[in-house]
Amino acid sequence: MKSSILRASAVSLACALVLSACGGGGGDLTLGGAVQNVTKDGLVLQNNGGDDTAVVYPYTSFQFSNRVSTDDQFNITVKPGAIPSNASECHVNNGKARANYYSIYQISVACTLKQHALIVTVNNSTNVGFTIVNGADKQDVKPDATSVTMSPVNEGAPYGITVLNPPAGHTCTVSGGSTGNGSGTMGPVDDKTVTVSCK
Amino acid sequence: MKFSLARPALALAITVTLASCGGGKATFPINVTVTNLQYPGLILSTNGMDYTVNPPATTGQDVTFAFPNAIEYGQTYDVIPKGQTVTNGTLTALGAQPAHQTCSSPTFPKSGTAGQLAKIDIHYVCAVNTFPLTGTVKGLTGTGLTLANGSTYLPVTVSPALDSANAPTGADVTLTMNPVPYGTTYGVTVVTQPTGQTCTVTGGANGTGGGTMDDAAEKAGGVTNLVVTCVKSS
Repeated sequence: MKSSILRASAVSLACALVLSACGGGGGDLTLGGAVQNVTKDGLVLQNNGGDDTAVVYPYTSFQFSNRVSTDDQFNITVKPGAIPSNASECHVNNGKARANYYSIYQISVACTLKQHALIVTVNNSTNVGFTIVNGADKQDVKPDATSVTMSPVNEGAPYGITVLNPPAGHTCTVSGGSTGNGSGTMGPVDDKTVTVSCK
Repeated sequence: MKFSLARPALALAITVTLASCGGGKATFPINVTVTNLQYPGLILSTNGMDYTVNPPATTGQDVTFAFPNAIEYGQTYDVIPKGQTVTNGTLTALGAQPAHQTCSSPTFPKSGTAGQLAKIDIHYVCAVNTFPLTGTVKGLTGTGLTLANGSTYLPVTVSPALDSANAPTGADVTLTMNPVPYGTTYGVTVVTQPTGQTCTVTGGANGTGGGTMDDAAEKAGGVTNLVVTCVKSS
């Protein structure tokens, strides 16, 4: 254990000496980490107020191009105003520390996505209730219901309404949404475009 | 005189203390915590003891227990779902798992020797089993088809089959949606239509791409009968 630490620090010291000797002040540690809840472009991170780095597709990780040296102070922040348009806020966890082989692996970024209501209009002349689903989100439709509010959907996420169990002997059709068949992508406001008709 | 009295008294005190912890040897209870257990059926086993773990009265709470007999310093333990077998490092039998769930001990060691650690704390985490949601896309020649199962996952993109000259053939293409956990509903819909075509979803338990991953679907190994039929847009 001790010897491996000694060896690691000896190696990094040697590297630092070599690097400084040839004028490369960049260091040998890469700053980066995991990203959560980012689904589109727009997020820009900074280190010590500069070195702008955009989080790009598939939006699961980030990495600064400028490397740092052991014991350099890093302070990773979200560039003011530079968050994806469908996020309400983004924050950096463990973004401020002195660089070493532990601290550089503790950094992560998480955003909170905006959510909007998905409200389905119901035209039901059967006097029988049924159930509609948006994937795993299941909502009962009472016989006299004229609208049903589904669980909120993240802005930019898909949705697709289907009738799980049409009333026996009746047919139900789903219309609306951006495809016209009850499916679409959640926009920047509540979505009230989907209609379920049973007769 | 005083000393000779004090010494036997001390010896007696030591004997009493030792006796209280089991005849002079330290013993170690095997404590277990099980997280996210929702269904009955889990039996954990170690050192010849079986313990049937029932789901908590309040959904979401951890279940904690200790095996009936503590073990002595130096004894080894290995807490496994009863009957679980590992052959050449590969899990060959899951053992007595709860219905619809699989429990494992991914981050903490489930085996060791009593006395290695001050306290034996085993941690099992249970996950609801997921099942495939798959099918076939028929007649697809256009590009850009995406399908979704609600809002939980990103849409799945399906590209047409191509011949050696990279022209679309319209041959059947396999559709693989994200697996669905037991007990939840699914409803597969077209989110974006391919260029020049209109696709409709059939199959699933209700015939229109929807249903519930219920006991029947679990028994069948998932839902594999989705059919997406694409025709030229009128």
